[in-house]
Amino acid sequence: MIHIPNFCGQIHRREFIHQLGGGFTSLALTGLLGQSGFFSQAQAAEMMANPLAPREPQLPAKAKSVIFLFMYGGPSHMDTFDYKPKLYPLDGKTIPIKTFGRGGKKNEGRVVGPKWKFQQYGQCGKYVSDLFPHTAQCVDDIAFIHSMTADSPIHGSAMLMMNSGSLLSGKPSLGSWLNYGLGSMNENLPGYVVMLDQSGGPISGAKNWSSGYMPASYQGVVFRSQGDPILNLADKNGMNRTQQRSLLDYLGDVNHSHLQGREDHTDLASRIASYELAYRMQSTAPEAIDLELEPEHIKALYGMDQPRTADFGRKCLLARRLVERGVRFIQIYSGGAHNDANWDAHGDLETNHNLHAGNTDKAIAGLLKDLKQRGLLEETLVVWGGEFGRQPTAEYAAGTGRDHNSYGFTMWMAGGGIKGGISYGETDELGSQAVVNRCQVKHLHATILHQMGIDPNKLNYFYNGLEQKLVGVEEIEPIHEIMA
Amino acid sequence: MLLFSRSKILSVCRSLLLMGLGVTMSVHAQSTEDVAFFRDQVKPILEKNCFECHGGSDGKGGYKMKSGLQLISRKGLLKGGLHGTAFNEKNPEKSLLLEVISYRNDDLQMPPKNKLPDAEIALITEWLRRGAPWTPEDAEMMREIHEPMADVTTVNEKTKSHWSYKSMTRPSVPESAAFPHPIDRFLEVQRQQHGLIANPPANKAELLRRASLDLTGLAPTLQQIKEFENDTSPDAWSKQIDRLLSSPQYGEKWGRHWLDLVRYSESNGFERDAEKPMIWRYRDYVIDAFNQDKPYDQFLLEQLAGDEIEHPTRESLIATGYHRLMQWDDEPADPLQHSFDIIDDNVRITTETMLGMTVGCARCHDHKGDPIPQKDYFQFASFFRNISPIAKGDGNLRNVPAAHVKFVSQPREWENEKKILLEKMASAEDEFRQRTEAAGITGPIADVALITDARKRPWKWHYTFDTPTNDWNQVGFRAEMQQWKQGFAGFGTSVPGAKAKTPWITQDIWLQTTFLLESIPTSLVMSLYHDEDIEIYCNGQPVYQKEKYLLEYEEKEVSDAFIAALQTGRNVIAVHVKQSSGGQFFDMGLMIQGRPLRREMLADNSPQMSDSQREEYRQWNERLAEIDKLLAQSKDQALTVAENGEKVPPTFIHLRGSAHAEGDEVQPAFPLIFGGETAQIMPTAASQSSGRRLALAKWITRADNPRTARVMVNRLWQHHFGRGLSSTPNDFGFLGTAATHPQLLDWMAMEFVEKNWSIKAMHRLIMTSAAYQMSNRRNDANLAKDPANEQWWRFQPRRMTSEELRDNILAVTGELNLQQGGPSIYIPIPEEVLATSSTKGSKWGKSAPDQVNRRTVYAVSKRSLAVPLLTEHDQADTDNPCPVRFATIVPTQALGMIHSDFIHQKAKAFSQRLQREAGADAATKIRMAYQLALQREPLESELKRALEFLDLMQQQEKLDPEVSMQRFCIAVFSFNEFIFID
Repeated sequence: MIHIPNFCGQIHRREFIHQLGGGFTSLALTGLLGQSGFFSQAQAAEMMANPLAPREPQLPAKAKSVIFLFMYGGPSHMDTFDYKPKLYPLDGKTIPIKTFGRGGKKNEGRVVGPKWKFQQYGQCGKYVSDLFPHTAQCVDDIAFIHSMTADSPIHGSAMLMMNSGSLLSGKPSLGSWLNYGLGSMNENLPGYVVMLDQSGGPISGAKNWSSGYMPASYQGVVFRSQGDPILNLADKNGMNRTQQRSLLDYLGDVNHSHLQGREDHTDLASRIASYELAYRMQSTAPEAIDLELEPEHIKALYGMDQPRTADFGRKCLLARRLVERGVRFIQIYSGGAHNDANWDAHGDLETNHNLHAGNTDKAIAGLLKDLKQRGLLEETLVVWGGEFGRQPTAEYAAGTGRDHNSYGFTMWMAGGGIKGGISYGETDELGSQAVVNRCQVKHLHATILHQMGIDPNKLNYFYNGLEQKLVGVEEIEPIHEIMA
Repeated sequence: MLLFSRSKILSVCRSLLLMGLGVTMSVHAQSTEDVAFFRDQVKPILEKNCFECHGGSDGKGGYKMKSGLQLISRKGLLKGGLHGTAFNEKNPEKSLLLEVISYRNDDLQMPPKNKLPDAEIALITEWLRRGAPWTPEDAEMMREIHEPMADVTTVNEKTKSHWSYKSMTRPSVPESAAFPHPIDRFLEVQRQQHGLIANPPANKAELLRRASLDLTGLAPTLQQIKEFENDTSPDAWSKQIDRLLSSPQYGEKWGRHWLDLVRYSESNGFERDAEKPMIWRYRDYVIDAFNQDKPYDQFLLEQLAGDEIEHPTRESLIATGYHRLMQWDDEPADPLQHSFDIIDDNVRITTETMLGMTVGCARCHDHKGDPIPQKDYFQFASFFRNISPIAKGDGNLRNVPAAHVKFVSQPREWENEKKILLEKMASAEDEFRQRTEAAGITGPIADVALITDARKRPWKWHYTFDTPTNDWNQVGFRAEMQQWKQGFAGFGTSVPGAKAKTPWITQDIWLQTTFLLESIPTSLVMSLYHDEDIEIYCNGQPVYQKEKYLLEYEEKEVSDAFIAALQTGRNVIAVHVKQSSGGQFFDMGLMIQGRPLRREMLADNSPQMSDSQREEYRQWNERLAEIDKLLAQSKDQALTVAENGEKVPPTFIHLRGSAHAEGDEVQPAFPLIFGGETAQIMPTAASQSSGRRLALAKWITRADNPRTARVMVNRLWQHHFGRGLSSTPNDFGFLGTAATHPQLLDWMAMEFVEKNWSIKAMHRLIMTSAAYQMSNRRNDANLAKDPANEQWWRFQPRRMTSEELRDNILAVTGELNLQQGGPSIYIPIPEEVLATSSTKGSKWGKSAPDQVNRRTVYAVSKRSLAVPLLTEHDQADTDNPCPVRFATIVPTQALGMIHSDFIHQKAKAFSQRLQREAGADAATKIRMAYQLALQREPLESELKRALEFLDLMQQQEKLDPEVSMQRFCIAVFSFNEFIFID
């Protein structure tokens, strides 16, 4: 159906599969995939015909899909899930502390005590702040990673890092790698869906869901939670479905006549078929987002009955419906644009975090509970976090705002074969940097790939003279300690 | 290895030395007690924390040796890894091992997950102090390193004789009775070996469509095809080739191939994704170079070193914009490392594009698949070492003296238009104010001063007269910590109407101040008085820049960029004022104005304006923004390379690619596999430059460079035939695909050099071959033997590129504007897509309708925002070199081709053209549509089927004839015959 007869990159080489028919440079892709050693020649041949054809995971897969709840802007870990009792009494005191954020590197700062109380929840007794009372009820299903580190405390590069493993743009994002490695389970829907905040996209926009040097077939598709979910899916110019059907029938006739004598040029037939697939998508995609089919109590579970949580709740519920329909990777952004439209609390921490946590907490808990009650949580990996955390000290002379912190922050995972009710890694007692079981973004990525049944050290794509990998060239271990 | 690097020789010597001393050492340094101490107290720590990654099993039959370090033996400890020996024998306290485990080095901390307890660090310190004794049974143990391609990663007889590393020789052209053309003779030899028969020629219509799209990216007209068909002269074909090569559209098509390679884009990427000002002049340079048939060696020379050649010209200076095309993070977390990322980008692009070599792979370690040691990488990088950093805003612009400036008359027209627009807007604003006031909207809210100018209350600024560090304009830069002085505005000497409070008599002044914001205002008014050139930064963003001086305070609303730069909390304003002669002065104020009239008028909901008034006002406002941009773009400046003087900072090898871990110093030299000779750097006429790039350019463009000509003729072949003789055009190394016809490639490369690197001569050579003129039809016998057409027994059909698709649709509708060159134009992007940007697409401009219809090569290319129609059809990625375009077929293309506003608008325009030119009769319109889109008459059956469709639309769907015809036009744009090229 979908066909890649050409490629952008240096692919290789002696392994070209001469006996395969088909388009000219389509062989190049087979060569590429065969060469990488990740896919068998048979799989590679199938991918040549359809880059999104489903492929069996190579490891026993715990998860079939990933929902990545991206808290863009950088939520404060010591105000949410990383309880730092010693920080409260220091509020207002200037202490020596090494920080690095938007305001540069500093050696001292005025402590901002955590602005919310923490309480213990669940069997595991996890401390969670009052910002997330609903999510707190799910702690027994969650593994917290408190020792995350990133290579940059600046939004632009840190966003690229969390999404693609590199500070520079041009690399494929996590969702692209998953779809490249596993293919799609439903060709009537995109395999990689991104839902943005109402306030806009994140910094660098589409670079965050780019397929980089891979074909555009693997890039994220922006899905709108209301109206026309995918660009150009619905008609806006007065052409109804029967007219479109007639048009496609006419077009098909013309293109089939043209095909006479050119049958060996398979791109021509692929293109004819792609119009029919597009036609089918127009009925399957709206059905996927039709929340009218959901009962009221489910909508309420996601907070859709409250104006504040309705939007994020709708997106989380959509995510569940997309997971049910085989979408591999769904990313939902909380926060967009700049400044306080996202979690970037430089000025007033309380206002900012009350807003964003309040908009998302109910929905996140609803998602976890709903997935669990349907038995879907076992095969769906939910990831929560931002591109970095925040500093224990204030950014300005006055106020509660915290600057960025990539030395230590918290992310969490639930479902998809992740052990619940545990906390892995620690920051120091002020939350300023990770000190125990420090993790890098590539460990997080490796863990996600691993749970999806992919060996992170084997998944590669040959480009620029290198077997490129999401996790980098050096062997890396996923975080086994949080796996069930 | 023929040559050892200095460090390798040293390390070899060192290990020889150690072997010799082995016996003495064990007697002298290793007491039984020390060995026991190691075995009992230290070794367990190493086993637990280090062995796993540094010498331990990887569980797959191999061993892990991160950074090349093996910590499983004393020998491994001494040998060290990529950062050098882990143990300093003379001064054990300074051992790398201690530095790393004590977390003293921010960039290298081991073990990476957890710092060792202090007690364990103390034990290791003591152990090293004792001379690092080891248990004798495994003190010398070393894991064998398995490199699968070891035989091709050193310079040896095998690698030197690889087809693309060895020198070119001119092969003799094989004999053939059937084929007079040399290219065909080379091909025929191998076709015969494979039992393949070359296809017959394509018909003339197919051939001309193929050639026109190949050379110009535009289909021919039916008229041109008929003329060609009727031309029976023997040189009919070569006349067509000459006509197409001399068409200005040729450079637009072939320039685009080059722009793909150099990842041309007009913005920097990352958070701001700021514009690369005037970079379109580089795009025009490339297009002009192809049109003028600039010799390829000169083309490369000018891009690499157009400023260092003996007589730099305007063109050659513009060409050096080549060095400014990469993505650039204006606030990198690690500025030093990022400055080398920029150089790295240059190394990659230059070696891949010009040499078909992936030198970039050797940044962190020796190349794993080619004979390119890490030292080669840094020697190559040193050619670019002295290039000045990429600057914000206009910082890299240089005046390019114009012999003749294009668009010379336009700025005046734009100025006039702007004046008229401003008058119209002022009167509309006046009227609006009166109406709102009459409607009882309370008068101007009081202004809120953020910074007061001296007329109200003198503001206290931090300032300095001494050139500050590069980060002076950044948010994190604290003037107070840098001992900047404080003083009240205005600064300078006295000027008309204002007095200076703080004297400033030097050439430059840098100032900084801050203010707090609780929320982001929608507009700000800035008052300013400056003498002379001023640049203002808000939170690190360039927000205002102006040359010359003012004679009074000027008040104006700040730009959108200024507003976008604001943040809640602390805001930093940084200012640089520079005077060249006469007096000097600076004062500024910033306030939130009571009523942002313009914004109120642009808002959707004010009842004091009718929709049509608002729409009119919006259009004026948009046009004004466009004119301001055009005026800024029409300055006679270009984004060029520059160096920081003749003296070049040293270049060191970076261990593991980290700029913070310097190894041996290197000098500019060419890759070892090509002889490794040191570059002869000659001083250049331009005293501001080192001459290094010129030396590199001269080496690359030598006639006997084994790669330059080969790589380029392969690209020329690729763009004519769909695939290069080597299908990995950016990688001719061991990981690439060998040329199917190496002799043909060499023969053409020699021809290329002999014909003075003339690209047009090569087009003529290739296109006059029978191979180029063959039909693409199937031949089942051939297909069975060579389905991939590796032996070129037929011509290979292809899909239009994204640019061709858009340009040819515009050509069919008759709207294509063939205006050449100049500032880029904005192709409209759907609202839904603009909304995915963090600034909601506010930086995406709007061009006048006739400008929108220009060729796609002139469209603005922005790294973070792409035009859906173009990305869907596999436009080149702008972060990486794109030597071959993908040609995917995915349903999102179909959705766009059926539903997008663009397609519906173009279908309407097409239908209107048919109405205009063919009249009302449907059959006549259909005939004309076939002529315009497919350059042929429809068959009777095709006409009948199209009429049936129109009939169905009108009878069953009750559409009027015009709308029905538009539906038909949508179908035509999706005909495979339109989109594919035989």
